[in-house]
Amino acid sequence: MKTHREIFPGIHWIQECGPNRQGIADAVVATGAEWCPAGVALHVPQNAYLLTGERTLLFDTLSPAAGEIVLAGLESVLGDRPLDFVAISHTDVPHAANVSRILRRYPACQLVAPAAGETHPLYHLADATLVGPGDEIDLGGLRVTFPEATFLDAALHTWMTEETTRSLFTVDWLGFPHMEGECLQCVDELPGEIDVSRLEAFHSRVMFWFQYVDVDTVRRATDALARRYAGYSLLPSHGLPIREDPERYYELMNEVVANVAASGRTGVL
Amino acid sequence: MSASLELGRGVEWIHECYSEPTGHLHVSVYLVRAPGGDILVDSGSFYHRDSLHSRIESATDGRGPRALILSHSDYPHSGNIPTFREEWGDFEIVASVASPEIQGLPYARRARIGESLDVLGRRFTFLDPPLADRSHTTWIYDEEGKTLFVADGFGTIHPPGHCDSWWGDLPLEGRTEGVLEFHDQTLRWLIYVDPDRLMTALRDIFARHPAEVVAPIHGPPIARADLEAYLDDLESGVRTIVSTHAAMTTEEE
Repeated sequence: MKTHREIFPGIHWIQECGPNRQGIADAVVATGAEWCPAGVALHVPQNAYLLTGERTLLFDTLSPAAGEIVLAGLESVLGDRPLDFVAISHTDVPHAANVSRILRRYPACQLVAPAAGETHPLYHLADATLVGPGDEIDLGGLRVTFPEATFLDAALHTWMTEETTRSLFTVDWLGFPHMEGECLQCVDELPGEIDVSRLEAFHSRVMFWFQYVDVDTVRRATDALARRYAGYSLLPSHGLPIREDPERYYELMNEVVANVAASGRTGVL
Repeated sequence: MSASLELGRGVEWIHECYSEPTGHLHVSVYLVRAPGGDILVDSGSFYHRDSLHSRIESATDGRGPRALILSHSDYPHSGNIPTFREEWGDFEIVASVASPEIQGLPYARRARIGESLDVLGRRFTFLDPPLADRSHTTWIYDEEGKTLFVADGFGTIHPPGHCDSWWGDLPLEGRTEGVLEFHDQTLRWLIYVDPDRLMTALRDIFARHPAEVVAPIHGPPIARADLEAYLDDLESGVRTIVSTHAAMTTEEE
């Protein structure tokens, strides 16, 4: 099964679909959500993104169960080229688990990690190149920056942009499950639209803290993001890439937050 | 330094500290004496691996743990599991993750949040934590000892020289600030919370699960007598985090 593809010139998406999430599927079906028919397999993916300019950078590394997927994707896209940078968004296991394997395969590769946070040595990151707001890596033809992660779990965290394609990598924010048959497709290639309930199926489990927020405070932060990154494609770590009509998703996320704040979390991942 | 510090009711604290510019951060584990053997709560960080290994070995008379209950898979909590299992055998791992293979724990027995499990003859209830970073985190309530193991909330940055103190014995000067500093640096999402909503959820947990001791991974143990003082400091800290963020946002706009 194919597990990677190019979604913009020089931006390759490597996808780990993971197991069928039957529990989530059953819960979604029980809500009457139209997008998820009974009996369908549901995936909550991990995504890594490989950027290939004159130099190359991998953003996130997939879970421990997907070491072969990420290495095969790297080898398929890079061939004899080196991997120059491996950057991790945060130290969560499904994002950072394969750093050591990748560095063994590409020993000259430079490890890049978020500057935010105080505890880098606890994660073997004492010698990493630390990046944050204001930092940029010019890959030659592609140019990445590392804005603050607006919505996050762990403190040691960064988001990323690629400025030539105007892409925002939103890590844990804007995730959503996809069904069998939708693997490795961008949202604009699906027959239907992503709705609030699909985004809520993810965030009501992962961003459990939405249940304690002041909804207006979050809305202001979301609206500020929408203004700052107007026109940027949205490339999440746990959903399908959003290349068209990204503005719509900021407003959908405001609805998600209001719903979770009103109804609480629905489970764990 | 002794191998472990008795907290009572069959619970011992094996603490390690990570030094930060403004103080120390605990990265601890706990040992629970159960009828069927010793249970570790969390495995600590690989940063402290040698010291932890030595102290756990000493505290268990060389036997090592027979089981480990994991608060969450973050590396400073789970990072020593493979090494400890190589050293002391494939002891049972109990974890609340819904997808163990994705979290690198394919051998774990799942603890569902909201349920209770018997581990080596001692009963634990797994709670949905209002203060956490990873979504699958659980707080662990020891029904027999009435000890509530918590991560990542309820930490305190403490001054050097007080690494084995209970929270109530820390110097008053700087203690409130230590609670604020820990939560500000660790749980960045607190900038968005409604403090009343969060504190209500926390107090509800203590009403339903009365704790003689709150046992944080990232802070000193908190005795029941000091819990209200801690909650007051926590609430003050959360309100400061929220108001500071609001002021910064207004300035930027």
